[in-house]
Amino acid sequence: MSDARTPLRVLAPVPGRAVPMSDVPDPVFAGSLVGPGVALDPTRSRQQAVAPVSGRIVKLHPHAYVVVSPDGRGVLVHLGIDTVQLKGAGFILLAAEGDEVEAGAPVIEWHPAAVEGGGRSPVCPVVALDAAADALQVVAGAGEVAAGAPLFTWS
Amino acid sequence: MIEAEKIVAGLGGAGNIVEIEPCATRLRTEVRDASMVDEGALKRAGAIAVMRNGAAVQVIVGPEADTIASDIEELLE
Repeated sequence: MSDARTPLRVLAPVPGRAVPMSDVPDPVFAGSLVGPGVALDPTRSRQQAVAPVSGRIVKLHPHAYVVVSPDGRGVLVHLGIDTVQLKGAGFILLAAEGDEVEAGAPVIEWHPAAVEGGGRSPVCPVVALDAAADALQVVAGAGEVAAGAPLFTWS
Repeated sequence: MIEAEKIVAGLGGAGNIVEIEPCATRLRTEVRDASMVDEGALKRAGAIAVMRNGAAVQVIVGPEADTIASDIEELLE
């Protein structure tokens, strides 16, 4: 990984409150095993999760996606914890794997309260894949952030 | 690139794998005999980490999990 890239501005994919990744109730995310990041405790309303950066959707699951920026940096958005077990129920895909998207473009529609009602955490890890632990600077404030608002900078 | 064959071997071989399902970052597997799982071999094969809870074994491989799981399923057929 080069250090000479311009800082990448990563947007909040869902509306909510930024929480430390270490608070996520999953050891893989809490331990930053696939990369550091910031999690969002989402607003409990039906919502469209958006692309956190401009680039290509290289992975699209019903409950998670990865967008890779033109300079090769991948950001993973995971909608809720253990939501793979829902097998797509309650998630509507608004884009396709392989699509080129602008930051802020809708990718998946879902309802965090439905996930929570099923006994799962709706918290959304936003992961800078394979980034160095000190590469991120959180820019979201302590309150609610809107989907598409700046979440962190990846330098 | 993580090789499916090495993951299968690390999980104790094809005969030891009851189920394998990809998530966004990991392979969720169920094995017959957890003692046959070789964490060192899985990590040498490229796994970032291995999380175990009895016969439920999660192999953390990153976002290529779905591709690796497809390769493994082909091997198991």
